[in-house]
Amino acid sequence: MLTPKRVKWRKVHRGRMTGKAMSGNTLTFGEFGLQALEPCWMTARQIEAARIAMTRHIKRGGKVWIKIFPDKSVTKKPAEVRMGSGKGNPEFWVAVILPGRVLFELAGITEPVAREALKLASAKLPISTKFISRAETEAAS
Amino acid sequence: MATKNSDALAVETRPQAGTTSSNALRRSGKIPAVLFGHGAAPAAIAIDAKAFDELLHAGGKNRLLNLTIDGSGKDTALLRDIQRDPISRRILHADLQRVSATENVTASLPLTTTGVPDGVRNFGGVMDLIMHTIDVQGPANALPDHLEVDVTELGIHQHVTAGEIVLPPNFTLRIDPSTVVISVEASRTEAQAAEAPAAAPAAGDVPTVGETAPAEGSTP
Repeated sequence: MLTPKRVKWRKVHRGRMTGKAMSGNTLTFGEFGLQALEPCWMTARQIEAARIAMTRHIKRGGKVWIKIFPDKSVTKKPAEVRMGSGKGNPEFWVAVILPGRVLFELAGITEPVAREALKLASAKLPISTKFISRAETEAAS
Repeated sequence: MATKNSDALAVETRPQAGTTSSNALRRSGKIPAVLFGHGAAPAAIAIDAKAFDELLHAGGKNRLLNLTIDGSGKDTALLRDIQRDPISRRILHADLQRVSATENVTASLPLTTTGVPDGVRNFGGVMDLIMHTIDVQGPANALPDHLEVDVTELGIHQHVTAGEIVLPPNFTLRIDPSTVVISVEASRTEAQAAEAPAAAPAAGDVPTVGETAPAEGSTP
């Protein structure tokens, strides 16, 4: 699973998820990609599950890029603990996703294989997503 | 390399700038744009969205545009940037730079490959297009739509550098000629799929700056 090696602060504020992804919203490396349509906190487990689903379907050939990184720690208080006494312990890592963000990219495979691989990956994610391809993007520009 | 010619585009000046008027313009089927360059003051203009879409679909991104401003004024320009909505891909704004037809300009030309590399065909490799565009300098009226690279002979662990790309006459490269633009590498997805998900350290175990990481194999 993806986790930071070292952080400046162990506990961070929750923050807000408003607006659209103003960076990381285009295909940069691959030919096909999966674009988020909703905001969410995507956990390292979900990213890993999506990666495994994708790479298992591709089997051989192709290249995968994961364009998000879970760098935000989420804390939780233990069960049956009264409120107060400070912030809980960091439990897992999430990536903050805004609509429009390209999550994964693929190259070196045919479009039907890429579509199916990204569909399987999408099933592991907590949000609705969209398949995008460089051919479509370039036809429109 | 595809041949290029110029395209005609009608634009009109827009008296008001700013978010509100730009949004109103978009609702009325136009795209706010700016025309700049050649020492003249930048002009706020509006382009018909349908005509602009047709121009882009016809591959006019790197073509010299013959502008008709407010039905009478003439100018030539190159499309320099397009801002799009990240999700709907609708065009929000366009940047046009004034250029003369014979002027030397810098442009980013898209790379297209022809053929299937030998390393992909026979050895199960993956072709990686490291750079999708190449910066070149040449006359504005001769900019090709794209640059073609023949990759048929490319074996596994071989690559094409920027210097090996055949450019049209009078064009020069604007990047280091030794930059690798296309490579064929062995696929790693099978190995990646087989690898078990590594046991990641718990969120609380990641050291902060100044602390030392826990020793390998030590219990948290």
